[in-house]
Amino acid sequence: MNAGLWWWALPVLLLPLLWHRRKRERTEAAPLATARFLPRAEPLQRRVWRWDDPLLLLLRCLLLAALVAFLADPVLAWRTSSVLVVPGSDPASVEREVRAAGFVEAPRLLLPGRDAAAWIHAHEREFAADARLLVVGDVAMPAARPRFRHEVILRSAPAAARPVERHVAVFGPRADDWRRLFGALDGPVRAVVDARPDARTELIVWDAPEAPPPSLRAPLWWVTDGSAFPELARAPQVDGIAYADSARGRLWHGAAWPPRDAAAARALVAAWHDLHLGVQPFTAPAQVLAPAAAAPVGTAGGALRAQLALLLLVLFVLERSVTHVRRR
Amino acid sequence: MHASAALAAHTGKLALAIRHVLAGLGHGIHAGRERGAGVEFSEYRAYAPGDEWRRVDWKLMARADRYFVREAERDSHVAVWLVLDASGSMLEPSRAVDGLTKLAYAKLLLGCVAAIAQRQGDAFGLVVCHGERARFTPALRGPRQLQRVLAQLDGTDAQGGLPDGETLRASLHFSRAPAVVCVAGDFLDWPSPLSEALLRLRGMRHDVRALCLQTRAEVDGGFDAGLAYRDPEGGVEMVRFGRDLRAGYLRKREEHFAAVARACRRHDLPLVQACIEQAPAEVLRAWLRQGGQR
Repeated sequence: MNAGLWWWALPVLLLPLLWHRRKRERTEAAPLATARFLPRAEPLQRRVWRWDDPLLLLLRCLLLAALVAFLADPVLAWRTSSVLVVPGSDPASVEREVRAAGFVEAPRLLLPGRDAAAWIHAHEREFAADARLLVVGDVAMPAARPRFRHEVILRSAPAAARPVERHVAVFGPRADDWRRLFGALDGPVRAVVDARPDARTELIVWDAPEAPPPSLRAPLWWVTDGSAFPELARAPQVDGIAYADSARGRLWHGAAWPPRDAAAARALVAAWHDLHLGVQPFTAPAQVLAPAAAAPVGTAGGALRAQLALLLLVLFVLERSVTHVRRR
Repeated sequence: MHASAALAAHTGKLALAIRHVLAGLGHGIHAGRERGAGVEFSEYRAYAPGDEWRRVDWKLMARADRYFVREAERDSHVAVWLVLDASGSMLEPSRAVDGLTKLAYAKLLLGCVAAIAQRQGDAFGLVVCHGERARFTPALRGPRQLQRVLAQLDGTDAQGGLPDGETLRASLHFSRAPAVVCVAGDFLDWPSPLSEALLRLRGMRHDVRALCLQTRAEVDGGFDAGLAYRDPEGGVEMVRFGRDLRAGYLRKREEHFAAVARACRRHDLPLVQACIEQAPAEVLRAWLRQGGQR
């Protein structure tokens, strides 16, 4: 649901306005000689358009307004023209691009990842209407050409492939074979074989017939003997690899592991990269995306949520206090 | 019917309205014992407005160039007492005829009775029960008395409740001579000092004739449900009227007036209930005839 629909709840402010109207007893009554044959009635009360307890009324209105604002999750367009920097970019090239595009004065934002299009889409409402965005670095190319309401200048440059370390733990009598396999890896991914698995471990090679201790966990397990893992009994297979999910993590099982030759080892490592680590996106080509007024805006917000929650709390406490004081 | 009552309400002059009502009344409604003016000549007196033309002595007028009226000796000493309940509840307006109240209607009818009594040569007096005290006009004969009584009636404004029993006993003490007591009121307070006084008078073998005035809205329970009401003689308590309360209202009212009628019947006291929207002449006829038929 679009949180902006909550703004339609603002008419609830009319409720305290109505309730705080001053009561006035209706005292005018027509004389009626036979009134003695009628039952007594409480004097009718009529509300007039004057308000009592203006302080309490104000507090209640503010409380309701704050609640509506909290639910509507407003986003203030407080960001101006900015430079969005993809992490891992070369500072020198960033400087060069910023100077070339004339964004020297603009504030710089470090993006959380390579996917600049998703980030801009989510946070686009935070930018002022006339803001321009310069994105520098190794920007991931989205599947479709993105449309934004602001002008976005992509100055992408493919970053030099930096070695990425993946921590691996090996258990079993054939640990040396596995170490050799991981040591022979070339390319951007380097495997570091740790003696003991820790929180950074991404892959555990279990080359032993007994079951692993239950505390051992990792995102991916390579298991040579499936008998210790009941989850693998009915596991489907892809390219000779049986896979299953367990409480310890995802299990891969190959009967012919460790690979005997270079081709099999390459196939296994390629499968690891493609199927588990994921395909790294291409670098988006440098271009200028013209603003499109009809582009959808992102739903992400919550920038003011903490402040509004605090305001709500303060107003609530004040309202309760004033109500209590008035009652006494 | 309404037109006649409204005319009575809107005619500023009580004497005019009385003449209008009596004009439609005809003759012979009152079993007066007057033998006719001038049967036993008593005295001449100067003409006063209101005297019948036929009683003017034309020969004397030709001689003296002034109007004189022949006063007859009467053997009847019937005194007519007019008792007007002028408590606050008598200001109850007719919800159908604008400007007509029970008080105005009662004044009109009592004025008619006074005029009839004056025509017949009876002495008549007036007692106005008015805001906790009784205003007393002694019984006399003649057109000047009629004017006096009409002026008293004209100047009467309803307010407050009824006088207490002691006051009424002091005001309504009559001689042993037979009297006709015509009471006009709403009888919403019953038993009350006034009702006790009437029953006492009836016990003294006076001819007491009660006229209970109501409005059409009271009888039908047709009040505006959108208003708040209060008792004009009560406190500040408010009451409400609505369709849900109508049946209860009618039942209570019925019970009250049934009790009133029962008490009157037990004491052989004729009671006429009339709506003020009715034509005054009809009501007057019913009021006076009922006493005569008894």
